[in-house]
Amino acid sequence: MKRGWLPLALMTTLIVALGAYSEVNQSTFLGKANLNNLLLAAMPLVLVSMGQATALLVGGFDISVAALMTLCVVTASFTMTPSTSGPALVLGALALVGVGLATGIFNTLLIRVLRLPSIVATLGTLSVLEGVSLLLRGYPQGAISTDATNALTTTVGFLPLAFVGVVVLAALADLWLYRTRSGLALRAVGLDVTSSRRLGMSTGRTVLLAFVVCSVMASFAGFFLAAEVQVGSPIIGNQALESIAAAVLGGASLAGGKGSYFGTMLAALFLTEINNVLPLFQQPTEYADMTIGVLILLALVLYQAPELIARFRAARQRLDREAAAA
Amino acid sequence: MSSPGPVRPGVLSIRGVSKAFGAVQALSDVSIDCRAGEIHALVGENGSGKSTLLGIASGFLAPDEGTVEIGGSRLQRHSPAAARRLGLGIAYQDYSHVLGLSVAENIYLALPADARPTYGRMQNWAEETLAAFKLDISVTAVTGSLSLAERQLLEVAKALLTRPKVLLLDEPTTALGPEEIEQFHTLVLEQAREGVGIVYVSHRLPEVLAITDRVTVLRDGVAQGTFDDASVSEEGLVALMIGRPLQVAFPERIALPKEAEVVLAVSGLRGERFGPIDLVVRKGEILGIAGAEGNGQVQFLRALAGVEHAAGSASCNGVAYDMHSPLGPLRAGVVLLSGDRRGEALFPILSVRANATVQVLGRLARWGVVGRASERSAIAELVQRLRVRMGSTEQPVQSLSGGNQQKVSLIRPFLRGDVQVILAEEPTQGVDVGSRFDIYEALRAKADEGLAAIVKSSDPLELAGLCDRVVVMSRGRIVQEIPGHELGERRIVEAIVGSRAGVKSPARDGEGAHL
Repeated sequence: MKRGWLPLALMTTLIVALGAYSEVNQSTFLGKANLNNLLLAAMPLVLVSMGQATALLVGGFDISVAALMTLCVVTASFTMTPSTSGPALVLGALALVGVGLATGIFNTLLIRVLRLPSIVATLGTLSVLEGVSLLLRGYPQGAISTDATNALTTTVGFLPLAFVGVVVLAALADLWLYRTRSGLALRAVGLDVTSSRRLGMSTGRTVLLAFVVCSVMASFAGFFLAAEVQVGSPIIGNQALESIAAAVLGGASLAGGKGSYFGTMLAALFLTEINNVLPLFQQPTEYADMTIGVLILLALVLYQAPELIARFRAARQRLDREAAAA
Repeated sequence: MSSPGPVRPGVLSIRGVSKAFGAVQALSDVSIDCRAGEIHALVGENGSGKSTLLGIASGFLAPDEGTVEIGGSRLQRHSPAAARRLGLGIAYQDYSHVLGLSVAENIYLALPADARPTYGRMQNWAEETLAAFKLDISVTAVTGSLSLAERQLLEVAKALLTRPKVLLLDEPTTALGPEEIEQFHTLVLEQAREGVGIVYVSHRLPEVLAITDRVTVLRDGVAQGTFDDASVSEEGLVALMIGRPLQVAFPERIALPKEAEVVLAVSGLRGERFGPIDLVVRKGEILGIAGAEGNGQVQFLRALAGVEHAAGSASCNGVAYDMHSPLGPLRAGVVLLSGDRRGEALFPILSVRANATVQVLGRLARWGVVGRASERSAIAELVQRLRVRMGSTEQPVQSLSGGNQQKVSLIRPFLRGDVQVILAEEPTQGVDVGSRFDIYEALRAKADEGLAAIVKSSDPLELAGLCDRVVVMSRGRIVQEIPGHELGERRIVEAIVGSRAGVKSPARDGEGAHL
């Protein structure tokens, strides 16, 4: 995992620095309630960004996650109502995962069978899913089971258990990505599809896996979004671009083959922190968008710098060697 | 070496395979078999169907007709994974490395799942593996940082790791020096002794005849026969490889004055895949560049046009020009006609008119506005002269045939008044016979006006007919220069396959390099 530390270090530094600055100026930041609130608010973005990172790893984009999260919230307002309980609630939750699975498979079909560029294919899916959500709920209505939402937001001290869960998940996912055969295969496909196919890998299956993981993670994000809004809102999900931003800030390459789940988790946390902190300073949220944009540009330059320098050096050396040989 | 003993089992058997790409019949009814322990050469000119045949054998392409058997079992599903499972290993000419991964990771991925060590042992295991092949490459290095020779040897090592019954080698020595070739052949012979059947694709006949047992010749997608090495000579093979009937006429050549002035002078030009190269092209001359595909010809031409990075210098009419971007060469009057018509040379959805005038709009505009009428009148005569066959000049260029598309891209250098050098990459690839002559004639007419032209072509017949002089490139360097009076298809093919490499020493040092 060469140079993989750079995004992790940068994100950690930024999270701590912004937190410290806020605490010094507005002592409410480190309060138990605010921290708990921040971590819970980060859950949807953390989950969907980790999914997005998977799509980026195979060299794709998934724009449809935003609409998928909305559809999951809307679905929850039908399958996880306050009156459902016990096994029915579990089935209702499975319905959300099912929606994610189906979307992932649908996206893969568009990309692999119809050979559409992923960004276009998922843009189409986005519109379709948005339409379905609006069809099911023309306006926000249908309460969502508080049993379920309470379970999702269970907290010990200030720490939501779910957040502990995603930290562990992110660490395990990175271990998988960089320490196992199938993780290596995922990166190989993202780096070079033709070579991967020549090496006998089933590239189609790998892409399917990535997009299904992405969609299922988005449906998990949908659970936490549902817990947040508590009602079947057809216009709630808008985190497609933010999820790409988080994955990139976390170290993913837009060209595929590179990325870190832990870095993505930290980056998603940081992006949420920006949104969380601004109101403390009575600053308008427009600054959040601008800050995020500038940060992404800076991060892209910073992350690519070592690679560009290395490539430049290698080319120079090769030419020198050849000149010496001639 | 073909042993008279008991017939060894066939490890690869291709029966009656045909394959067409669009209107082009790449292979028709080709059969070839390779036995265990045999080294079977497959030779043929560029475009004779060798790569297509390998693609089919390795499962990458599905044949239109015919069957492939590997190790006695028929290949049912045409996928590389299925072919590998049956015991096929292949070293691709352009490799199968994932350049962003380390050497160890690449080797690891090359193995079938059940033959891989645990992930944690990968590093040590990769080191041991490479040591067994006597390869001195760091396993932690990123594959993209390896030299081309290292990549080539690694590619073969990867193919062998799968313990194949049959090994396909596609031009495995293009990046290797003489010593490395010897080392490589030792390795190949070792494998054959252990019973691996090897299909060896190469255009270097001496190399092929030195180590193979049998040789099959392909020409225009048709097998010309399989021969024991002992029964065939280089001359015999060359005769089988060429001999396409002459279908096209060529414009007449005017003898050049002995010391015509130099238009393009290249000195010490070198890039990642070629060089150093020195040469001059004189006024009125069409210089041909021949060679087997992948020996740096394209890169050299593109470097001259500033499209590919290179060191060294080039001058046009005595003035050195900047090659860091395409702008420098264009300003100096050096124009590239890219072989990638759809991708680079043309805007497929724009009209014939727009494609033809795009580089000279400034001249056609008045007060910054381009008038359709002035555009049309500018190209009207050229469209006639080049005999572009189309409905109207407003037709999108993608609706024209390949040959007529190529003619449209040729209008550009004609429209610009300031062109000194035309660099044409495969000017007639995919072009119908009728249009070829028009293109040849247009290039010749330009040369007669006093321009210099370089034509890179994979068709020796075309080079022999069109050019005043041909240089042959191999491994990125000019290895032979064929003067006009010696030009002929056979002469060029012989130079490409290296059968007369000993006769004329490579022109490399200084003054011997040109003319």
